[in-house]
This record gives sequence, C-alpha cells and structure tokens, in this order.
Amino acid sequence: MITLISIAVIAVLLCLAAVSLYNRLVRGRGAVDNAWAQIDVQLKRRHDLIPNLVETVKGYASHERQALEAVVAARSRAVGAQTPKDQAAAEDALSGALKGLFALAEAYPDLKASRNFSELQEELSDTENRIAYTRQYYNDAVLTYNNAIQTVPANIVAGMTGFAPREYFQAPGEERGPVQVRF
Amino acid sequence: MLLWLAAGAAVALWLLLLAALALATRNPDVVAAPPTGDLAPHSPAIVDLITGHWKLCDEAPSATLLDLASRGVVRIEEIGPELSLVRLRRDPGDLRPYEKLVYDHVMSLAVDGVVATGALAEGSRNLGRWWKSFRKKVIVEARALGLSRPRWSRAQAALLTAAAAVPSLAVAVAVTMSDDERQGGPGAAVVTFALLLALMGRLNGERGTPDGARAAGQWLGVREHLAATGRFAEQPAASVTIWGRHLAYAAALGLAPRAVAGLPVGVPADDRRAWSDYGGMWHVVRVRYPRRMLWAREPLPMLFYALAAGFFAGFWTWMALLVASAFGLWPDTLVRPTFLAVAAVVAGVPLWYAVVDLTGKAEIEGQIVRLRRFQAGTKGNNDPKYAYWCAIDDGRAREVKAYGIGERLWSSLSEGERVRARVGRKLGWIDAIEVIERSRLQGTAGYDDTEEHRVVAPENLGEVRIFDPRQE
Repeated sequence: MITLISIAVIAVLLCLAAVSLYNRLVRGRGAVDNAWAQIDVQLKRRHDLIPNLVETVKGYASHERQALEAVVAARSRAVGAQTPKDQAAAEDALSGALKGLFALAEAYPDLKASRNFSELQEELSDTENRIAYTRQYYNDAVLTYNNAIQTVPANIVAGMTGFAPREYFQAPGEERGPVQVRF
Repeated sequence: MLLWLAAGAAVALWLLLLAALALATRNPDVVAAPPTGDLAPHSPAIVDLITGHWKLCDEAPSATLLDLASRGVVRIEEIGPELSLVRLRRDPGDLRPYEKLVYDHVMSLAVDGVVATGALAEGSRNLGRWWKSFRKKVIVEARALGLSRPRWSRAQAALLTAAAAVPSLAVAVAVTMSDDERQGGPGAAVVTFALLLALMGRLNGERGTPDGARAAGQWLGVREHLAATGRFAEQPAASVTIWGRHLAYAAALGLAPRAVAGLPVGVPADDRRAWSDYGGMWHVVRVRYPRRMLWAREPLPMLFYALAAGFFAGFWTWMALLVASAFGLWPDTLVRPTFLAVAAVVAGVPLWYAVVDLTGKAEIEGQIVRLRRFQAGTKGNNDPKYAYWCAIDDGRAREVKAYGIGERLWSSLSEGERVRARVGRKLGWIDAIEVIERSRLQGTAGYDDTEEHRVVAPENLGEVRIFDPRQE
C-alpha cells in the first residue's frame, strides 16, 4: 500500500513538474513569436517606404537605372523571403542596395536638397535602427527559448511535445550581435 | 525653581508664537473644480507640485519627458513588451530649465540618438543632487508664476529668530543659577537656540498661494475628467503618440503609473537589472551577486582559511572519534584515517579553488555595468564592513555574475567604463583591472546648479486638505 501511495505521489509530482516546464516552454515560444512579429512590423515599414524613395530618386536621377533596379529587386527578394535566415540575408542585401542609392544621391545636389528625399532618408534610417533593436530583441528571445528546450530536464518535455529550436535572425556567416547601418 | 518655571514659560510662549505663525501660513484649502478638459498652460512638473500638496512627487521627471515627447522633442517607440526606445528628434529649442535637465540626461545616455527607456535610470549623475536641482528649478518657476511661496517670509523668519533668543537666555540664566560652578549657561543658551531654530526650519517648506490653490483646484478638475475619459493607468509610455500631452498630465496627476514606471528618469538604477550599451545597442543584463561561501574571495587568504578550516574540522573530528572509540563506538584503527579524510575534504575544495586561481587567471574584457557595495557584517569597532562587487558585461551573455574586488580598485572605477580585468574563475575575485576607455557617461550629465543654491526651498513637510466635491 505504502509503495503504491509513494508511486502515486511521485507520479503526481512528475506530472506537475512536466506541466510547469511545458508552460514555461510555451511562454518562451510565445515570446519568440511576439519578437518576430515586431521585426515583421519594422520590415514591412521599411518595404513600404522604398517605393516612395525610388520614385523620388527617379524624379532627379532617372538615368541611374542600375541602382534603382538593384533596390527594387532587393526589396522584392526581401518581401518574398520566408525563414528568418533567408529574411536576414535578403534584408542585408537590401541595406547594401539602399546604401548604394544614398551614395548616389551625393552626386545630385538637387536630390540631396529635396525635402521629401531627406525625410525619407531619415525615416529609413530610424527604421533601420528600430530593426536593429527588434532583431536584438528577437535573438535574445530565441537564445532564451533555445536554451530552455535544450537543457535538462526541459529537453525531455520539449522532445515529447514537439518544441523545436528557432533560427536566429542573422544572415549566413554573420556573427551574432548588434549590426548598425547608417545611411 | 522659579527661574526654571520662567524659562519653561518663555519656551512655551515661543512655541505658541511658532504655532500661530504656522497656522497663519498653512497651505490654502484646495477645492476641486468641476471636471474639465481645458489644460491650463502649466507644465506637468508644475501641475505635479501644486496638486501634490506643494511637494514634488517622483512622477514629475517622467511626466516632463512625456511632455517633451508630446511636443516632438523626443519620440518614444515601443519595440516589444519589455523594450521601448526614446529617440531624440530635433533641436529642442527653448526648454524650461528643468526640461533641459531631463533632456540633457536623455542625451547623455543616447547612442546614435537613441536610448532604451529602461536605461534612463543609468548614468553617472549624482541622483540626489540631480533631483534637488530638478526640484529647485520647478519651484523657481512655480514661485515666478505666483503659485507657490516659502512658508516663512523674511520678516517671519527674523521675528522667530529674534524671539528664540528670549527663551534661550531664560534657559541660560536658569542653568547658570542652578549650577554650582556657574558655567553651564552659555552652552545651554546655544543648544536651546539651535533646537528652536531647527524646529522652525523643520516646519518650513513650500506653501501654496491663493492663485496656486485656484490652479490646483482647476487641475483636480482636469484629473477627474482624465480619470473618467481615458484608461491612462494601462497606457505605456509609447502611447504618448496617441494621447499627446494628456498622457503627460495624467502622469503628473498620478493617473498613469505604467507610463511613469516605463520612464525611470528620477529613480535609482536597479542592482540586479542593468542596462548596458556595450556593443553599441542598449540591452538588459541581469546581474547576480552569488552569496555562496566560495565566491568573491581573495585566493591567497583563502589558502589560509582552507588550511585552518581543515585543521579545525580534523581536530574536532579526531576528538569526537577518540571519545567514540573509548566507548567502543568507533574502531581504533579508523580514527586516524577518518579525521584525516574529514580534514582533507573540508580543506580540499577551497584549497583547490585557491590554487587554480593563483596559478591561472582568466582575462575578460567588457563594460562595467554595476559597481556596488553591500554591508557584510561589522568590524571590531562596530564600523560597517563592506563587500565590494563589480559586474562586467563582456557581450557574451545576458546574465553575468558580479565579481568580488578590493576596496582600493573598486573606488577607482566607474560604471560604463570599458575594462580589461584579470579574474579568478573559481573564486570570482578581480585581481587586477585596467581601464581601456573611460565611461562616455562620465561628466556628460553635468548640470549647472550653482545659481539655484541661492533659492531657499526646504522640503515641504506639511499637508494641504483637498476637498472632494462629491463628498461635500
């Protein structure tokens, strides 16, 4: 009888521990999803600003087709990217293309003096900064979550209930850490 | 006896005079006006002062920052549930002195024009002096607007001071006459005079004027209106984009605790939750101060402590086993191996840790995020004994363990400095530390408070009654 009670008590305790660990993992996964949603908001904002920028530049430097097309193509790739890794690579490429476009503006004083252009430039710069912060926020959430599902004993519960590690928001070969883009 | 009675009567009369003047100079009654949405042209800090019994509350600096955000001087952006940013927007233009104080603090912390809201408690400023400066600047404006005044006018202060001489002299005479050596009089006079003036100073403080009471009543009407129309208690600081100045005033009126807590401008930094800008972006670093026996210990003394602990543990075990073996409870042959084993176990771990730390140090490079000292007992003469801690963010983890450090090294460091430290990984002790780059925060939050020390603005210790119209 005592053995049975002991087994029952141990089983109940194990169940409670498993439920608690499961809830912790769910909270961690929710935090990662939420952080990803924040990145998504900022990326969408950046994608929405780019057509206006391209139109503005076209008005002053329409013959700079190559640079403009590079930005448009990079934006399309970024919009179509699915996984965090692909998205990070596409966004990095887009940042590079934008840098090229802003470097180009140096040769066009009228474009540089345009209020619309400078406002868009400032807006994009602020958005880049926000993306950098959301990216840090997301990567921190992923780190916490991945650590949680890979450490004992949570890894047992994670394995049984299908919690998979998440990808960091970083381009292949890129080191984890803050990245700052300045136009 | 008669002289003592006379001295007592003189003191009582002076106290009566003080009470009469205190009554005459009490805060005016504030009657809340009917609910209204009209915002008078007072700043949130002034509103905080006049509606808070003429005592500036902790919300005032946060409300000021919200006001700056609503006016477009800064922008508050929400990045996630635990992360919002303050972004400096444009040339701030003409700011009020206390607004400039808040703006300068934000600017001193900003990296590329951005600072995380949680990091607003960081920085190298002397918080006590900063707060005093903020408060005086607000009071100067409130007095200039005719909303506030010091309790004692010069004439009243002069009258009370002159009148205090009478009971002091009376006490002096009483003491002199009752002292055989006739020597205690001057001392008693000085002590009595100082005590009476201290009491007078204690009752001093900022008081409202009739105009101030009217303005406060008007703002209490606004408070009622805001309490009824907006759910300000749940609004984060970033919602200032939607609510504008109303959120700033709601914060000043104590209706927006969440927004205020999100902007810790006038509060001390948390010991265990530090904000670091190491790597170029603000992030949270959780700091632990391990209380275990073998952490934050100097390796060399630890060698001796370990040997002493091993010796005493072995000795007492040996004694106990001798007694046990005398009664046949423990085999004689096992006495020596047992007490030696106990001594080895007790001394072994700390000895091993100390030897490892003495022979090989790790080098870490990063930014000091916390320098703290906590009391750890008392010395022989009852003076407090402190344990000194230094936490370094090396950019590899979001949780760091603070290391122990000697007082001399500790006092030469500042938070925010980039350092290279030689540490013992086992005992967590910083042996040597070199500053690679001085803290960029150092001295940047300087504020000119030289002139304002002329403003006498003692803390208000009194209270004003506020009548709620619903209860009338």
